[in-house]
Amino acid sequence: MREIMGHTAGRVYLAVLLLSIVAMVAFIVTGGLETPAGEEPFLLFGWMTASLVAGAVFVIVWLIAYLIYFFRFWPYR
Amino acid sequence: MGFEIISLTAFGLIIIALAAYGYKISAKTAEDYMLAGRTIGVVVMFFFVLFAISSSWTFYGFPGMLYLHGPGYVFFIWGSVAGFAALYMFLGPRLWALAKINRFLSPVEALAERYESKGLRMVLALSILAFIVPYVGIQPLGVGAGFQALTGLPTIWGATYTVILLVVLVLLGGMRIVAWVNIFLGAVYVTALLGSLIWIVQAAVPGGLPGAAERLMEIDPQLLTTPGPFGEFSPVLVAGTFVVGLLAFSWPHVVIGAMTARDKHLFKWFPLLVFVFGGLFFYIIPFIWGSLAAPSILPPAELAEQAAAAGSTLEIEADRVVQTIITRRLPGWFGVFVLMGVVAAAVSTAAVQLMTSSIIVARDVVQGIFKPDASDKQITTWARWSVIVIVVLSLTVSIIDTGLMALYLTDVSIPGFAQWAPALVGGLLWKRGTREGAIAGTAVGVIYLALGLLITPGGSRVLLLDLHPIVPTLLVNLIVYVVVSLLTPEPSEEIHTQFFDEVDEFLRSES
Repeated sequence: MREIMGHTAGRVYLAVLLLSIVAMVAFIVTGGLETPAGEEPFLLFGWMTASLVAGAVFVIVWLIAYLIYFFRFWPYR
Repeated sequence: MGFEIISLTAFGLIIIALAAYGYKISAKTAEDYMLAGRTIGVVVMFFFVLFAISSSWTFYGFPGMLYLHGPGYVFFIWGSVAGFAALYMFLGPRLWALAKINRFLSPVEALAERYESKGLRMVLALSILAFIVPYVGIQPLGVGAGFQALTGLPTIWGATYTVILLVVLVLLGGMRIVAWVNIFLGAVYVTALLGSLIWIVQAAVPGGLPGAAERLMEIDPQLLTTPGPFGEFSPVLVAGTFVVGLLAFSWPHVVIGAMTARDKHLFKWFPLLVFVFGGLFFYIIPFIWGSLAAPSILPPAELAEQAAAAGSTLEIEADRVVQTIITRRLPGWFGVFVLMGVVAAAVSTAAVQLMTSSIIVARDVVQGIFKPDASDKQITTWARWSVIVIVVLSLTVSIIDTGLMALYLTDVSIPGFAQWAPALVGGLLWKRGTREGAIAGTAVGVIYLALGLLITPGGSRVLLLDLHPIVPTLLVNLIVYVVVSLLTPEPSEEIHTQFFDEVDEFLRSES
């Protein structure tokens, strides 16, 4: 991680990951997963619950950031 | 009954044969027994680690929790995926290089040398053992629950069967064969988990997964959302569960895996498999099982009635609802195959935990503290014998404390594992971290956690402020580590050179 902190691309990479964590926590804490009274639970394609979709999006963000950084910028690649 | 026994005996014999083969080809050195000679490549490493962390909990505890409380608990998985990837992206390369250059055999040894402290070595070794040992015992008991659901035999039969496999595998095989056997076990495990899901959805869920969701809308829509039917997973608890998952980078039996890597390129490729195969495929299977398939086939209210009639509780029955549904709805022979999957899951995890525990006992406690001049052969012998002691101890603890599987993992083991995280991260990345800071932070965190879990007037964890155990304890641990480090003299220049400059140079040059 010291080598990642040592250059701009690495710092951007870490910032993206950190922001995704903060965004996820903020989304959860502000009730983004909950179903408002009187409404039906969110379901994508008829079966994917909000918890599944939110988590999959989070993993995909990490995956894309990792692919770009580790295969183009990581000093030890 | 005869078919079940013959099948499970054959399965056990395959594992024992693999262990015996591993013993035959091993180099009989401590490095080979404990770290597979540092020769594990990316594919083996992936299955080794994935199935080391995917225990019988993935079959029972995890879907059981989703079944009872809706989908909120899955945030533990999302956090864990990021945590495991982070370990291999951020800490793994340095730990691996450091261990390889200095021939360290355990992460505790590496930290003890980094902080120049035998006292820290003892504190870390004992605290890790204290939290990992009960978790080892949960695995055989998890299999025992599956045995009972399938055959009606008492839990102890399944637990004994699993313990025998575990002991033989670890005693004979060492880390190399544990890693390789995890591929075989993992294949059985994935086939059983995925196969059972596909089959049960086709056989017992009209309309497929959308049909299951529609049925849950009729039963109780709260099963499809947070906070769930009992209002358990509030936003704060879901966020806490996610953060607990992120700390997966500090699980000792996963950390030690990084030290077995063949070269630094493993750390470039490994996260790809974690995200794609682990996060977007593997863990979705038990999620669908627990949150959609199981409650739509056997609604919780129905299971609660059956549990009450049988003198059990809904919580206990929920832990084995997947096995129960398979046993009732699918052919008997497939139930046996699924149980093999559960055995595979339990053995693959417990074997790595046992290896890790025995390495810490032999290398850090016995050699590190009491017999520094021990030979290679002696360390390996102690590691092997400590396996039996650890198994007996862990089973005893698990039988005495029959807490729910999912809660034991997230409420006790993981907060315990996390207490070495500040010393680990600081030791590898922060030059200013000191021996005094590491000892004080770890000791304060562990003592605070133990008191917080034990002192519960009226069922309330007052010392932990009724927060998740990991939050206040890790925060206090981290603050103490940083403050004490800044107040005490900086580590010597030799330590900076050995643990930072030489590692940087090695990672830059190693091809």
